[in-house]
Amino acid sequence: MNIDNLQDIWKAYDHKLEESRVLNMQSWVLNLKCFEDLQKQKAKAKLNRLATLKKWAVFLGIIWVLFLLFLIAHSLVFSKIAFVISAGAIAVITSIGVAMYIRQIILIRQIDNSENIIYVQQKLAELQTSTLNIPRILFLQSPFYCTWWFTPAWVSSGDPGFWFISLPIALLFVYFSLWLYKNISYKNCDKKWFKILFNSPEWTSVIKAKDFMNEIEVFKKDMA
Amino acid sequence: MDSENEKSKFIQLIEENKRIIYKICQSYCPDKNDREDLAQEIIYNLWKSGRQFNSEYKFSTWMYRVALNVAISFYRKEKTKTAAVPIDEVLHLADKNHENTEADEKIKLLQTFINELKALDKALMLLYLEGRPYIEIAEILGITETNVATKINRIKNNLKEKFTDIKN
Repeated sequence: MNIDNLQDIWKAYDHKLEESRVLNMQSWVLNLKCFEDLQKQKAKAKLNRLATLKKWAVFLGIIWVLFLLFLIAHSLVFSKIAFVISAGAIAVITSIGVAMYIRQIILIRQIDNSENIIYVQQKLAELQTSTLNIPRILFLQSPFYCTWWFTPAWVSSGDPGFWFISLPIALLFVYFSLWLYKNISYKNCDKKWFKILFNSPEWTSVIKAKDFMNEIEVFKKDMA
Repeated sequence: MDSENEKSKFIQLIEENKRIIYKICQSYCPDKNDREDLAQEIIYNLWKSGRQFNSEYKFSTWMYRVALNVAISFYRKEKTKTAAVPIDEVLHLADKNHENTEADEKIKLLQTFINELKALDKALMLLYLEGRPYIEIAEILGITETNVATKINRIKNNLKEKFTDIKN
């Protein structure tokens, strides 16, 4: 079998396609009516995609932040200072996460497929991998879920429940959230804790995106 | 591209290039049912990008960029489902009235080998097989012309080895 005429074999494939009339079956390219329908279908598909995890996360995140702000506005007294600070910190960190999600969605939509392939695919893969920054940020709010019920009176009373249970738990969460902030990265994706934490299709695609970025880097290298 | 005239022109362009679109879909989408979705996605993106068509590029360069970018993104999303692409269906249709020829075997083998390539190598080989000049392939992919030539040679040598293995 002669390999030197690959392009001829490919041309024969063209001929075969023509002969088989398989292309004529692709009615979606053949008339305007079908094309209009196609556009409607695509618009629908985009709406369906709105229901993905990311978009739900944005929606729920906004609702959650508004709810927290409502509670804060109705708790502005000294006795509830820990609650106001905790809820405020949670609202700020959640807002950062939501803003990062929104930015990603906008950037993905702005990608122009008519740019060269390496540029577009690299941008897409980079955007996907940057998704890992969002849980890093969001984990930082976890200690504040352990502090919202603290009150100045409880702290000053010297209650052992505060000093030996609540405060150590809060500090433990501070440690873990900072540890996760430092360690959530692609380089740890083969670790057991990472796999347990990010065991969902969304995260699998993020890890694969990083692999694809490596593939792009290899492809870009001038082999000459 | 809003007037009826422009729509007709666009459809004519698609009609003229439908074989290329079909082959890209065939190479990047193993599932026959999903393949039609990919073709629609490509056409939709060509239509959408048509507004931003930059006349400093050749039409073919622009079309390949859009089609291959959409196909690669689609392929990456669907990769978990990846299986051997059933190319027999094309040949089967063609073979209704003919005996299976050596040419069919060659096409089948070539298509199988292309399907085994990584996403970017696949794009490179598709462009090479379509007879695009190296300079245009470099523009479409975003790498240097020298790199294009080196990679094509390397892939061709790999294919040659595979062809020889099968022959033996």
